[in-house]
Amino acid sequence: MTIEKTKNGTELCLSIAGRLDTTTAPELEKELKDSLEGVTSLILDMGKLEYISSAGLRVLLSAQKIMNRQGEMKLRNVNETVAEIFEVTGFTDILTIE
Amino acid sequence: MSENNHTDGLFTIELTGRIDSGNAAEVETDILSRLNGQNVKAIVLDASALDYISSAGLRVILRLKKTWKDLTIENVNPDIYETLEMTGFTEMMTVKKAYRVVSVEGCEVIGEGFNGKVYRIDKDNVVKTYKNADALAEIQHEREVARLALILGVPTAISYDVVRVGDSYGSVFELLNAKSFSKLLAKEPDRYEFCVREYVQMLRKIHSITVPQGKLPSVKEKVLKQVTRTAEQLPKELGEKLVSLVRAVPESDHMIHGDYHTKNIVLCGDEVLLIDMDTLSVGHPIFELFRMYNAFVGYSEYDPEIVLNFQGYPAETARRFWHDSLSAYLGTTDEARIKDVEDKVRCVSYGNLIDWITRHPTGDEAKDEATRALWKSELVELLGRLDSLEFDLPGEEAFDPDRLELDALSENLDRVLDFVNERLEGADCPPKTQMQINIAIEEIFVNIAHYAYAPGTGRMSLTVKLSGDPLEATFIFVDRGKPYDPLKKEDPDITLSAEERQIGGLGIFMTKKIMDRMDYAYRDGQNILTLVKKL
Repeated sequence: MTIEKTKNGTELCLSIAGRLDTTTAPELEKELKDSLEGVTSLILDMGKLEYISSAGLRVLLSAQKIMNRQGEMKLRNVNETVAEIFEVTGFTDILTIE
Repeated sequence: MSENNHTDGLFTIELTGRIDSGNAAEVETDILSRLNGQNVKAIVLDASALDYISSAGLRVILRLKKTWKDLTIENVNPDIYETLEMTGFTEMMTVKKAYRVVSVEGCEVIGEGFNGKVYRIDKDNVVKTYKNADALAEIQHEREVARLALILGVPTAISYDVVRVGDSYGSVFELLNAKSFSKLLAKEPDRYEFCVREYVQMLRKIHSITVPQGKLPSVKEKVLKQVTRTAEQLPKELGEKLVSLVRAVPESDHMIHGDYHTKNIVLCGDEVLLIDMDTLSVGHPIFELFRMYNAFVGYSEYDPEIVLNFQGYPAETARRFWHDSLSAYLGTTDEARIKDVEDKVRCVSYGNLIDWITRHPTGDEAKDEATRALWKSELVELLGRLDSLEFDLPGEEAFDPDRLELDALSENLDRVLDFVNERLEGADCPPKTQMQINIAIEEIFVNIAHYAYAPGTGRMSLTVKLSGDPLEATFIFVDRGKPYDPLKKEDPDITLSAEERQIGGLGIFMTKKIMDRMDYAYRDGQNILTLVKKL
């Protein structure tokens, strides 16, 4: 997994590529923990995300909880297979997918 | 034209140049004068230097045959063979074709063993040459055992032709773009894991084969002779102990390669083949393992350059490869267990090596003496504390190539997924299904890794089976941890808002959604979880 970061004022965009699984999820968790302070808009670009397991979903859920308190979180370019995982797990209802 | 070798009444007569109506009478007189008054029982006509023979010449041979029934023509070139065949000579007497002559000058040496070298003669073919004067018998033996191994299920190459190479003979094999594992390990370090896996899988395959009685020699007798000679160089008591330890190793009718190092396993395209079959035998795996230890570590314990020169990779790589292969072969990462088996193996190794260097001095006496002293001290140390060479062999199920056994640690996730994906890719599984299966496998594996043995750790296995029409993939997870039935776990409420939702509980839920079937059983202290997915 690779994470590309772009910050514009209080807006933060993270492009996540590759696999978000048990092995890599802690990296994303750390990235969010280190950079969410003061952020009011978080955009996660999932265009190059190929795979997500429950470890990845957990990180997304806790990011959503943080952003509910300090602004908003949006997911972009979610591919069909990842979207299906969100659907099955009810994440479609709690995440904002553009 | 000349004759030689009249021991036992066998006369070899060389026919040279042209034999036609111009000189046939002269040739005949010459031959008869040489045989006259001798006790001739059999005649061999060596035709290797014969360029042409006319009907006048053939009549000379017929008259010889009338007097001496036992007449053979050898080394006949293709043109003359055709003449002999047309005239019916090949039915009247034994006619042996000449061996094709192959030159290996300037050819790349792709392998070298104690008994000869292997050269690449063109893109698709290699020739194995033999140092031994009795090469033909050796070639014949190797062909026979290679054929037997192939029939019994070992992927191997069989020579299709015997040729002359200089003063000796060689056997020709078709090996398309073959690369030995030694070369892979030396030149492509990123294929290390691949080499270990394939090397061990082939080893298990060989050892799983039962050989019909009498087809292959038992390796134990040979080793017993070697250690008996070594015993004479040891203090009496230790020498006796060495011999009795080896004698106590049980006989076995399972196949042993006998020289299983990385030069003897080659990659041809994507096929892995075993070569150099002349040491094929039956016996307990310890007799295979000690030769492996020697090749990777033993021979070069005093001088690490030896393995670099022979295998092409450094001593550290050789030692690591030996350790990792033994670990995979035994199906354990328990270092204490690996060490225990290694010590038993080393005991036989030194028993063999000390005898070997005594009988094959290198010419550098001081070095030989130092090497032998090192091996002796190691052997004495081992004999002081070992009371048996027996160890638990991996069970039959460990030989199943569709079963992976490893430590239940989340660091091993990639190994598990690689193992699963290799099998799915072989079955043309659609990418989306493969991804879903990956998720399910990850969830279950990580669950076992985190909870089954917590706070400690333990082993688990995964078996992957593909069967049925339409094709179904079955995944069986087995661990010996706390009894835990994931099917009894309550599903998370997926209608709750983000704030209300708990972090966790999703993995099992997703697995249930993804898989077509899930079964759980607790038997003999084992959690057995079976997942089925239609492909």
